[in-house]
Amino acid sequence: MNMFLRSLIVLLPVLILVFFAKILLVDDEIKFKDFESKNFPEFSLNDLNGDPVRAQSLDGIKLVNVWASWCITCLVEHPFLTKLSGQNFKIIGLNYKDSNAKAVAWLEKHGSPFLFSIYDPRGDLAFDLGVTGAPETFLIIDRKIVAHIQGEMTQKKWDAIFAPKIFKARQPS
Amino acid sequence: MIFDKFFKLAFLISIALPGTSQMLYEFESSQQEKRFYLLISEIRCPKCTSGSIASSDAPVSRDLKNKVYELVLSGATDQEIKFYVSDRFGDFSDYRPSMEGANYFLWFSPFAVFILLIIIFSIKRRV
Repeated sequence: MNMFLRSLIVLLPVLILVFFAKILLVDDEIKFKDFESKNFPEFSLNDLNGDPVRAQSLDGIKLVNVWASWCITCLVEHPFLTKLSGQNFKIIGLNYKDSNAKAVAWLEKHGSPFLFSIYDPRGDLAFDLGVTGAPETFLIIDRKIVAHIQGEMTQKKWDAIFAPKIFKARQPS
Repeated sequence: MIFDKFFKLAFLISIALPGTSQMLYEFESSQQEKRFYLLISEIRCPKCTSGSIASSDAPVSRDLKNKVYELVLSGATDQEIKFYVSDRFGDFSDYRPSMEGANYFLWFSPFAVFILLIIIFSIKRRV
């Protein structure tokens, strides 16, 4: 009994250390991996052309990327998004707290990786999505949010978080 | 000459002031006001490493404060407001985690470890 207690004095701090080390050492970018899927919030907004966006446009496998013309990191991730759209991934833009004219000019200048962009000048839909700034990217499968990352979309985040879920969704059930 | 400088300075200050003005919240009762300020001190700024939305001027914190203000005025309870926020921004947003599920560990593990240590040391003394 005494021996057991003595070893506990050594073991307990080690166990606690291991427990917290696991949390501390995990890659910051991968922390969004555990994500409880939830329904895409309801909204009634127009796209940048002024046409109302229909909820059906979120059927299937879609990415929703929060962007703005004032957002510098959006420009940094722009080539990666363009690459994704070239690989036939469907990306819907969510233009966040921007002006319509500036957003359209930005897309004309840099090219659009988006099917279309939802125009959300007050950030109402973004608020319901829990967006904290731009850029952020959501993975939507049949109107359900199944993944969410904040900040720049990178190959690493794509491979770790989005690609496995898309692969799984594409498997015939 | 000195007056000229003074007026220039006064002019610059006068055009700079509107930029610093913050949204003022007006309440129907002092109780609502108290609840509002308590709530915004208990909701974490999602954009900051650590800090409540009361202490933050990040755009998303401003949006959150405005939303909390709206909800307080509309008569929502504290719990409803916190749920509204955590539903969108995650459990992470609540500085006072609710006592349920995995949060029990958060609330009671320090006491459990403390009691365990006391037990271990007291037994060790006696031996």
